[in-house]
Amino acid sequence: MKGLKHYYRPDSVDEVLDLLARPDVPSALLGGGTSLIATAPDDLQSVIDLQAAGLDHLDEKDGRLTAGATARLQDLADFIGTPALLREACYFEAPNTIRNAATLGGLIASADPESELLAALLVYEARVVIQNRQGAVESALAEFLNEKSRLLQGAIITEVRLPTGGRAASARVARTPADRPIVAAAGRVSPQGELLIALCGAAKTPLLAGPEALDRLPYPADFRGSSEYRRAMAGVLIRRVRAELGA
Amino acid sequence: MDLELNINGNIHQIRCKPHESLMRVLRREGFISVRFGSDTGETGAAAILLDGRLVNSDILLAAQAEGHEITTVESLARGIDLHPIQKAFVATGAIQSGYSTPAMVLAAKALLDRNPNPSEAEIREAFSGILDRETGYVKPVQAVLQAAAVLRGEDPENYDPIILTPITLVDDDFFSGPGPEAEGGEPWGGEDGGGAVRVAAPPKFIVSSDVPETQVVGKPEIKVDALKLVKGNPAFVDDIEMRNMLYAKLLTSPHAHARILDIDDREALALPGVHAVIHYKNIPRVRYASGGQSYPNPKPYDQVSFDDKVRYVGDRVAAVAADSIEIAEQALAHIRVEYEVLPAVFDENEAIREGAPVIHDEPDMEGAHDASRNISHLIEAHVGDVETGFARADYVFEGQYRVHQVQQVPIEPHICIGYWDPDERLVLRTSTQVPFHVRRMVAPLLGLPVRRIRVIKPRIGGGFGAKQEMLIEDIVGHLVIATGRPVRLELTRQEEFVSSRTRHPQTITFKTGVDKDGVLVAQEMTVVGNTGPYATHGLTVQTVTGLRGLSSYNCPNKKFHCTVAYTNIPVPGAYRGYGGPQALFALENHMDDIANRLGMDVIAFRRANWVRVGDPLDIAPHLGEGESEVTEIPVIRSSGLEECVAQGMQSIGWSRRNDPDWKRVPGKPHLRRGIGFAMCMHGTAIPGLDMGGASIKINDDGSFNVLVGATDLGTGSDTALAQIAAEVLGVRLEDIIIYSSDTDMTPFDTGAYASSTTYISGTAVKLAAEQVRAQIQERAALMLEVENPGEIVLRDRCAHAPGGQFVTLERLALHSLHQDQQRQIMATASFVSPESPPPFGAQFAEVEVDVETGQVTVVRLVMAVDCGVAINPITASGQVEGGITQALGYGHCEEMAYDEEGRMVNAALGPYKIYRADEMPEMEVILVQTMEPSGPFGAKAVAEIPKDGVAPAMANAIFDATGVRIHQIPFTPERVWKALRENKG
Repeated sequence: MKGLKHYYRPDSVDEVLDLLARPDVPSALLGGGTSLIATAPDDLQSVIDLQAAGLDHLDEKDGRLTAGATARLQDLADFIGTPALLREACYFEAPNTIRNAATLGGLIASADPESELLAALLVYEARVVIQNRQGAVESALAEFLNEKSRLLQGAIITEVRLPTGGRAASARVARTPADRPIVAAAGRVSPQGELLIALCGAAKTPLLAGPEALDRLPYPADFRGSSEYRRAMAGVLIRRVRAELGA
Repeated sequence: MDLELNINGNIHQIRCKPHESLMRVLRREGFISVRFGSDTGETGAAAILLDGRLVNSDILLAAQAEGHEITTVESLARGIDLHPIQKAFVATGAIQSGYSTPAMVLAAKALLDRNPNPSEAEIREAFSGILDRETGYVKPVQAVLQAAAVLRGEDPENYDPIILTPITLVDDDFFSGPGPEAEGGEPWGGEDGGGAVRVAAPPKFIVSSDVPETQVVGKPEIKVDALKLVKGNPAFVDDIEMRNMLYAKLLTSPHAHARILDIDDREALALPGVHAVIHYKNIPRVRYASGGQSYPNPKPYDQVSFDDKVRYVGDRVAAVAADSIEIAEQALAHIRVEYEVLPAVFDENEAIREGAPVIHDEPDMEGAHDASRNISHLIEAHVGDVETGFARADYVFEGQYRVHQVQQVPIEPHICIGYWDPDERLVLRTSTQVPFHVRRMVAPLLGLPVRRIRVIKPRIGGGFGAKQEMLIEDIVGHLVIATGRPVRLELTRQEEFVSSRTRHPQTITFKTGVDKDGVLVAQEMTVVGNTGPYATHGLTVQTVTGLRGLSSYNCPNKKFHCTVAYTNIPVPGAYRGYGGPQALFALENHMDDIANRLGMDVIAFRRANWVRVGDPLDIAPHLGEGESEVTEIPVIRSSGLEECVAQGMQSIGWSRRNDPDWKRVPGKPHLRRGIGFAMCMHGTAIPGLDMGGASIKINDDGSFNVLVGATDLGTGSDTALAQIAAEVLGVRLEDIIIYSSDTDMTPFDTGAYASSTTYISGTAVKLAAEQVRAQIQERAALMLEVENPGEIVLRDRCAHAPGGQFVTLERLALHSLHQDQQRQIMATASFVSPESPPPFGAQFAEVEVDVETGQVTVVRLVMAVDCGVAINPITASGQVEGGITQALGYGHCEEMAYDEEGRMVNAALGPYKIYRADEMPEMEVILVQTMEPSGPFGAKAVAEIPKDGVAPAMANAIFDATGVRIHQIPFTPERVWKALRENKG
């Protein structure tokens, strides 16, 4: 981001949206910066830092968790109302130096295919609140991950909402205990008895995977795992998650 | 933009560019304890506290930090009064190079500020973002436990070494008995990864009765450089700032193999702020070999500073010096390079086949075995006659093994600052293990005589062999000459991966003949080594592979045959272990295999064959380094191997191998447990070649300057050398001021490599100290009117005469320097050894294998090491802990991965996986003392042997767990999964 000319720190969502709306200035939203600063292109001219926009709230009431987009992963992990599976996923997501800065909204916008936290949010039926100058819309996380470039046109993520009920479990395969997963599975039985399974390492984003979809996933290969291996692991890990959930 | 930053409680008005990271701004403002390890948050070396939370300042814009409280280590100590956390880091030996110590101290502070009584798991979690390549995290964790106790107002636990009872001395039948009781291991965090607290774990060692009593040597003295490192004082290359300094950047090759048809630098030079662009068209073509080795460097001389051909992705194309890093980077994009892309070859076996692309086709290529076939060297050695041996053998076993490419990953990348001094001599302040080799090797490339070059090695943030190389100093020198201004070149983390040095991959075949009693009768080792496009250490690493592969076991007929191949991968060079880890992965995997096939106990089989005191190292004279042939066959004079094995068996709970119930995990039918062993043996310095020098002089107050060319790169060698001097001179460690190293100031030393410093440079220090002692005795005799100076004894900072009269060394120094028959008490000595006494070790690994996924979890590592007399048991055990952690990465998860065009796809930490604090297996290190007669105070080496055994011990543990033997590292999930599937048919 060597071409960066402007740093903004607006103190309201409206101001953020105003700054974002300027068509002539290539701008990026800055959460914690843990991903953006290392990877932003040199022609990026402006960053809009969200730290003062009032989006770092965490709240749990009546079995529903509401997390602001700039809540840091460590805050989410420490919050008493966060379900255990999500807490554990925060720790698998990144080491403490990153968790102390990275934001939930930034993670969601990244759609990181290896993110176990995204997989966990998927099985918790998380919904993403997206706001533009016309107002706010709510989208299921699964839908958001598929259509994020459209949904984020002139808009920002303000909040994530999810029900905290149900039973959850996860399983993973990785090179070392704290490594990012090659493949991971998260599962949850909702209070209504519905089984949800999500996978990472099986497609270009983490996704909810019904049994019928498993064979059709692309399982993109890299040096840590071939497609064949990833496909086999998806089966093994889902079986383990189901066994743990008794589902 | 203008910012107001609150740094350590003070408001700083700062002008910076919007894109600048907080790390860059803090360093510029003088907070140099914030260290560069990456620009991407990978290493944690730049971690600071922001409102009390640990964050990476390299991925935080300075602007983001406005309005927050920034804390760096500079705020912790008041003068020499250290913060309790800093004191604990010093006391527990938690500091090696100290490069990332400030970050770790801050991590500890953030933790203890909110949790005064943390568990070990919580401490490890607090370190999870800071990668440590040196300590294995063992002692930093201890430091936090100790600091927490002090901050709670408790007395810290005693950290004196624990003396263990020897086993083999009291139990002759240990190896024939039922085996030790299971002690067993559990991950430090317990089953659920949290909660467990372990008591402080000071170094453990076994004392040998034939070691003489000493005062300073053998004691857990505090590292002599600990204070400056724990405070984050300016100590490293980049911690000084030169007026008018220019910043250099490298243009590297995007192609694995290409001819450069033309370079056009006009656009780059036209950019304001660009001062020089250098490449093959404007730099003289002088051939050299870059490996930092003694004169004459082994051939071939297959490099030039800049060539018109590139031979790997990451190879040098051009370099730029400009007013800022940004301008230099911009200039790189304006250098027009016309390439003719050539076919490339990456595998060592393919490279030497007929028809492979020829990597060195230049007409001035000299000294390769056969450049037209990509063979840089052919190495042959033998003892006896293997063919006769195989014919006589009752059984012949063969196994082929493949070892891969890994990188050293020093957290401080290569960095060099060069400038003209007032006498117009070129000064190179550089992060190197070999300052004297650098001076001699860079001179002809720059067209300067050696006398016009001065190389300064300040503190080094780890090297592990990557810095046993003249790697970037020529570029900096060329740019200083071209611009007349100071020039700084620092490799990025990505460049450190692809444009630095790595470990040699090899294909190794062992063929072994055994008689019916399990005694070796013939052993043949065939190696194809991959030296990438430049040979640098290609000859000697492969030679050491042969030496290490054929030295551990007695055998009347041995043969080594090795082809060293040129390929188009990033350049292998020196890496801690130097061919040994490759050889021992194959050998110890193979020996385990043979024992199992013979139906013999894996330790009994090895024990029937391994070398003992009095045995000759008969292959050694045929696999030496340098030109002076060592013709005498060395003989082993000390070995604690049997005790090491016995201690290790007891610690790991070896007998559990025989318990089928233990091998299954209740409730987890997909898991299998196993324990593996590997015998380790290394060398101590290169015999007949490695030389170290030391000068010692007395000061007015009876203190001594010790000047050594030896290169402490974080290992603690300065401390060990100072302890040796203090012991001989009868003073305390604090009376020794040791300095290393500066080619203008200190005597010659070959440098820090080949596990040589304690033994070679240590003996030089001992010899110099003995000469100084003789001069002191003479002076004392004069002052005390004693006839025979030889009767004077130095102890407690005094010279004592037999009659009870004494003089303090301070009085003596003043007398000698100022009062009567004045002279400077001073001496210089050097040392080269005809032998290389081997340290021995026993490595054990306990693993859990998930047979459905192939995931291997290392539960516990135990290593017992005989390094002779450990001059300092804390630093010695720290060497072992750090070494086996690197070795764990080698066996388990580290690998350089490439796409089809030879581009490394994981040149970042994370994708390139090194172990973090919060996922380490439990580790135990036991030092088994022996008295090595040729070493200073009985010392042998300790630095490299920890690299040898983990991978084979893991292979053998996986076999124990699953019955499947894997011949290739690393043991990543898919590789293990495939091996398990293939073997299940």
